Amino acid sequence: MPPSHIKTREQLDPIFNPTSVAVVGATSTAGTVPYDIFANLMRDKFQGMIFPVSPGNRSIDGVKTYKYVKDIEDPVDLAILVFPNTVCSRALEQCGQKGIKGAIVISAGFKETGPEGIEREKQLKAIADQYGISFIGPNCLGVINTDPSVRLDASFARAMPDEGPIGFLSQSGALCTAVLDYARSKHIGFSKFVSFGNKADISEIDLLYYLKDDPKTQVILIYLEEISDGKALMQAARDIISETGKPILALKSGRTSQGAAAAASHTGSLAGSDNVCDAALKQAGIIRCKTIDEMFHIAMAMAYQPLPRGNRVAIVTNAGGPGVLTTDAAIEEGLELANFSEETTEKFKRALPKTANIHNPVDVIGDARADRYNAAVTAVLADDNVDGALVILTPQSMTDIEQIADEISALGHQSDKPVYASFMGEADVASGIDILLRRHIPHYTVPEAMCRSFARALKFRQECESPATPAAPYTDFSHAKAQAALGQASGDGRNLLRPEEISAVLTAYGLPLVRDRVAASADEAAKWASELGFPVVMKVMSDQITHKVDVGGVVLNIESAGEARSAYDRIMANAAKNCPNATVRGVLVQRMMKGGEEVILGIKRDPSFGAVVMFGLGGTFVEIFKDVSFRVAPIDPAEVHKMIRQIRAYPILNGARGRVCRDLAAVEDCIQRLTCLALDCPEIKELDLNPLFVFEEGKGCYVGDARIMI
Amino acid sequence: MNESEIVSRVKKAAGFVLKIDPEQISDDANFVFDLGADSKQSVQLVGALEEEFGVSLDEDKALAVQDIDSCVKFVAQYL
Repeated sequence: MPPSHIKTREQLDPIFNPTSVAVVGATSTAGTVPYDIFANLMRDKFQGMIFPVSPGNRSIDGVKTYKYVKDIEDPVDLAILVFPNTVCSRALEQCGQKGIKGAIVISAGFKETGPEGIEREKQLKAIADQYGISFIGPNCLGVINTDPSVRLDASFARAMPDEGPIGFLSQSGALCTAVLDYARSKHIGFSKFVSFGNKADISEIDLLYYLKDDPKTQVILIYLEEISDGKALMQAARDIISETGKPILALKSGRTSQGAAAAASHTGSLAGSDNVCDAALKQAGIIRCKTIDEMFHIAMAMAYQPLPRGNRVAIVTNAGGPGVLTTDAAIEEGLELANFSEETTEKFKRALPKTANIHNPVDVIGDARADRYNAAVTAVLADDNVDGALVILTPQSMTDIEQIADEISALGHQSDKPVYASFMGEADVASGIDILLRRHIPHYTVPEAMCRSFARALKFRQECESPATPAAPYTDFSHAKAQAALGQASGDGRNLLRPEEISAVLTAYGLPLVRDRVAASADEAAKWASELGFPVVMKVMSDQITHKVDVGGVVLNIESAGEARSAYDRIMANAAKNCPNATVRGVLVQRMMKGGEEVILGIKRDPSFGAVVMFGLGGTFVEIFKDVSFRVAPIDPAEVHKMIRQIRAYPILNGARGRVCRDLAAVEDCIQRLTCLALDCPEIKELDLNPLFVFEEGKGCYVGDARIMI
Repeated sequence: MNESEIVSRVKKAAGFVLKIDPEQISDDANFVFDLGADSKQSVQLVGALEEEFGVSLDEDKALAVQDIDSCVKFVAQYL
């Protein structure tokens, strides 16, 4: 069930499935938006009634106009507002008085233009709320519904796209026209095509839920410039994927590091908005694409062919080199070359020349015509060891390109396994490519894109089929104790917690701490060090010193009472020299953990996604290596498991080259506890556990140092 | 020139550009919403007003004027 504030199907149907449309502000001047919107509705044969509202014209293209929308005698489902922004509110008010429940505000000059525009947009929204109108925009290209029973082209795009299984949502109107042009050249069809503009009323979340229940939409594509409610987006994606299995592909622009620049912790610095966005989209099951090309490559595969059941591909080619290139690309994407059954091999021997390579990649030889392709592709698709066919063609003098395209298209639609093609070249293969695309066989100019698309489609299927893991039950938290420590710091007006407060917060959530004491003199440092047991590490304690190592405020490997005394004096001297204005409250003496691998765990608040948890290889070089992974809280236990294994250094933790396997179960437990802390204590803005020492399997992990900002 | 004469001549200019009988234009008519002026006609209207009143108007300010009432007040500043 969608959240209660999401627009219902009944609210959005007047926009997508209207039986009558008023174009409010239409003109008779061809080449203008108000005229072209009207003309598109007419040209693309909208199946309902069209009422142009145009105070300056008695008719447009022979169709009677109305001075005001309220003058229309018939009921109207949808109003498309194309008036200048200054009068849109008046027009929408009349729509409300007329009882119209759906609107598309095409006009620009609202929030995107500054304070006056913001006011205009607020006014529109207030009128819509008053009359119960749902509207798309303002500042958008419009809406297209290709359903033959509707045929609504309420946009100023140049042409209506073909009907198809893809729903497209875009925050950018200009990108929409480019996408439509691109898609037309590749015969890609759409179910719904929506430019949602400033989303003053209807948001991308409303539209995602609408497409979830739209029987004409099988794959959803979305272009976003900013994500205003990341949590809602993630929930919508999860609902769509789990309830319908429809894949969601996203193109998100605006990769920025501005957020990272202002951060005070390692986690804050590393959790730049795009890193978090990337992690969040993946966590929600959304396939993020970097380019329009990539988006449609994957969309074609998912919309027009069955999802692969496994990673065993058969490559059929008429050229050795491209076969090898495809093999390389397949392996790099985690695919495997299928081992053909004996039956398949026998079929090859019968149908292919002796010079053909009957192993994978199958080389049907340069002089192959359609019959040889047909025999090879038919055989591999019938083989139980094959999960999909990748067909390569290069144009030789005798290659009957169009016939081969025909045969592959037919086979592709007869099989329950996916068939993708790459006809390599440009001019000679163009007619074959056109046949493939018209018949909805995914085609790729290069094999790398083909293999990547296969891998992404497979991954989506595997993720859909993996069972949800229940959250680990934790009952041993003391929220009150954590709150008391946090309250102490905020009461003092400090945004950094002191070591004793950090210990209280972490202990309250069961996070394992290294034993420590605070020394106020060199003698005391020696005493505590002896009591804790050598070796120890000593650290300066000051509210003003954030990065202690940088100011000579940390001494490691202290092996005796004498060394502890001199370390104390050195730390105090360094602090006085490097941070003369800092108030030093003493020196923390801590049992030094040896033999543990250093990792980092952290929390950051993202303005859109909320609490974000980070894991990575730790220590002082964490910001140099940037080998970290992120998840948005709450985190499914399976995702906790994945985020540890996602970093490049994972083999170091998992016993690579004779190293010991680390206690990753203990790290997973820490991540779960930290996630609970992040959700329970929203006043924590940033938190670092760095290093977290991880010992060998069964021996746990310990927090070596921590920083908490509120 | 008194106000009623300005009103009458503003309506005359608007009627000429927008091809509407000046008698049909109300005092509070909005050029776009009620009279259907498009952007090209709005520019033409500024020219027609300048010719009608023999003045030179600030075009940016003139184009921001929304209705007959405001237009009368705006033109009066130049007379």
